[in-house]
Amino acid sequence: MGNAFCKPRTPRHITHYTLNIPQATCVGILGSLVLLVGCSREPKIPVIKVGFVAPLTGDQAPHGEDMLGGARLAVEQVQAGGELVPGYRVALVALDDQRNPTQAVSAAKKLVADPDVVAVVGHLNSSCTMPASAVYHQAGLLQITPVSSNPKISRQGFETFYRTCATDDLQGPAGALVAVRELGAARIFLIDDMTTYGRGLANEFEKKARELGANLLGHEGITQGDKDFTPLLTKIKALQPDLVYFAGMFPEGALLIKQRKDVGLGGHFMGGDGLFDPVLIELATAEAAEGIYLTTIGSDVHAMPTAQGFIRAYEARYGPLGAYSAYAYEATNIVLWAIQQAGKKDRQAVLAAMKTLKDYPGLFGRQNFDEKGDSLIRDVGLFTVKDGKFAFLKTASWD
Amino acid sequence: MTPLQVFFQQLLNGLTIGSIYALIALGYTMVYGVIQLINFAHGEVFMVGAYAALTILLVLGIAQPLVGWLLVGVVLLCGIASMAGCGLLGLGIERFAYRPLRTAPRLSALITAIGVSFVLQNVVMLLYGATDRRFPPVIAPLRWEVAGATVTILQVIIWVSSAVLMLGVQALVMRTRLGRAMRAASHDLTACRLLGIPVDRVIAVTFCIGSALAAFGGMLFGVYYNTINFHDGYLTGLKAFTAAVLGGIGNIPGAMVGGLVLGVLEALGAGYLSAQWKNAFAFVVLVALLLWKPTGLLGERVAERA
Repeated sequence: MGNAFCKPRTPRHITHYTLNIPQATCVGILGSLVLLVGCSREPKIPVIKVGFVAPLTGDQAPHGEDMLGGARLAVEQVQAGGELVPGYRVALVALDDQRNPTQAVSAAKKLVADPDVVAVVGHLNSSCTMPASAVYHQAGLLQITPVSSNPKISRQGFETFYRTCATDDLQGPAGALVAVRELGAARIFLIDDMTTYGRGLANEFEKKARELGANLLGHEGITQGDKDFTPLLTKIKALQPDLVYFAGMFPEGALLIKQRKDVGLGGHFMGGDGLFDPVLIELATAEAAEGIYLTTIGSDVHAMPTAQGFIRAYEARYGPLGAYSAYAYEATNIVLWAIQQAGKKDRQAVLAAMKTLKDYPGLFGRQNFDEKGDSLIRDVGLFTVKDGKFAFLKTASWD
Repeated sequence: MTPLQVFFQQLLNGLTIGSIYALIALGYTMVYGVIQLINFAHGEVFMVGAYAALTILLVLGIAQPLVGWLLVGVVLLCGIASMAGCGLLGLGIERFAYRPLRTAPRLSALITAIGVSFVLQNVVMLLYGATDRRFPPVIAPLRWEVAGATVTILQVIIWVSSAVLMLGVQALVMRTRLGRAMRAASHDLTACRLLGIPVDRVIAVTFCIGSALAAFGGMLFGVYYNTINFHDGYLTGLKAFTAAVLGGIGNIPGAMVGGLVLGVLEALGAGYLSAQWKNAFAFVVLVALLLWKPTGLLGERVAERA
């Protein structure tokens, strides 16, 4: 094949670029390969793409992979079920934002620039979702974030924005209520990771804890990616708090939990949904993680009768269910539903269809959204770590 | 806890990370002393050392904390293997990246160092993935109360082993023929050559020793913090470089003192001022110190060479 292609061209190559015979042959073979690849593509069926963005590399990649599994499963199930929109196939485009707001915006711009993309599922971190949501809004592109829980994102008033989880103005107060009323914590120290999510959640917790009359001993920030928190924990130890609350993600959370033991800091430890990943217990060691509490942005998916089919399908395909897989699955399914309702490859039609959604039968019950785009399913779960595993305690209330 | 006990605990916290900084800083300072090159790939060698130790632990299939002689054996094996591996890596980097540029302008070698650092980061990322890798728990958590402060077995291991290594390096440089050759090379390479000292070999050995020390630091870092990531070499390397400058770059006891001082300063800054300014505080102190004493804590004024 290669020779047949390059033979008539060889003399011209030699005269123009003074390539020798082997070089020219190489050029010819390469050229014919490009041609072959080009030709062997499957017959072109027009495609409708669903964008997906989360950290797929870096320290928070385990969370991102969990989400990607959920999104993939939803798209695969639709693909197996025939054409969602007549004459089109559906595909998922997964991009990596490395939990970095700058990367998040450039991923968003890339999706916006692709005319085949009609909706986006993402991102993970509120600090990424916040700036990216403005990009999607400008392009009139539907965005559903599965798990970014900072309430300020939906308060921007973007009609393109939806989310399928509870927000931190519920999660924070719910945590504070458990801490003060049930664990009897009178002296509390707050740590956050200075991100949109962490700082926002910590402030919500602080507000409610003050209201409940707790004594806030301090509120400190740490840097994402840092490894040594022993100086901060030593300082906290001297203040003898009943409870330390950390609003941040699991890589730093795990080190705080482990080093807390190393400096001999007693009392309770509580965190938000950013800690909800089995990797947390691995990194922190089961010994140190035993008995910590954390709130989540939804109820226990394993306890949902409506989610059993999903859990079986997911675990058969991708292994143990991650903390955020269900939310990504839910968000992707809702996006696919909107595309089906729209019935065509048109961003505006998809967005218009999304607005008509009512009582969507989701994993956590009937999904409806308020005028800001936030899910009306507002359960906050309370978990603990028992025998090296997360154990569901109850659905926590926030007032 | 009384304020004094808190201070004592902060000192211990600082000495732990400071020991690791000091081990890495030695490599920066030794290489700089001999050929006036800031080896920016050194932080990456440290990271490779941690991954080498991790690989050994994974190959041995260790999932549970070990006890007794088995623990000592495994730790020694890990340490020796990662030091040997990174020593060879250091030799390779010197041979293929820096030696060809020995007579080139200093800037070329500096840029090459940055290039080597990118190569190492990306190779490790491709081999081990871009996510955090967990270190298996080799050593069972064991803690003691000492004068109101908590000390863990790992901290003790870090202090003792890095002290032994640092004393070893000091003895090697001050008391052996090789050390004398290294000190001579740091004064004047050309004169050394004229006197028949195999300069290239001395430089290669310097790289090898520096890299091995960084690898040991990497292993301690991985075991202490439980995780390692392909970009962990960057910030830690930068801190160790700061420590070397703080102590007076080119000066071996200076690097040790600089590492410990930097670790303690960070701990005190985070403990008494604010944790979110921890990194900034260390660098502010560096700038202030250099304004007051431009050669670093133990550095001596050297005439600028033509």
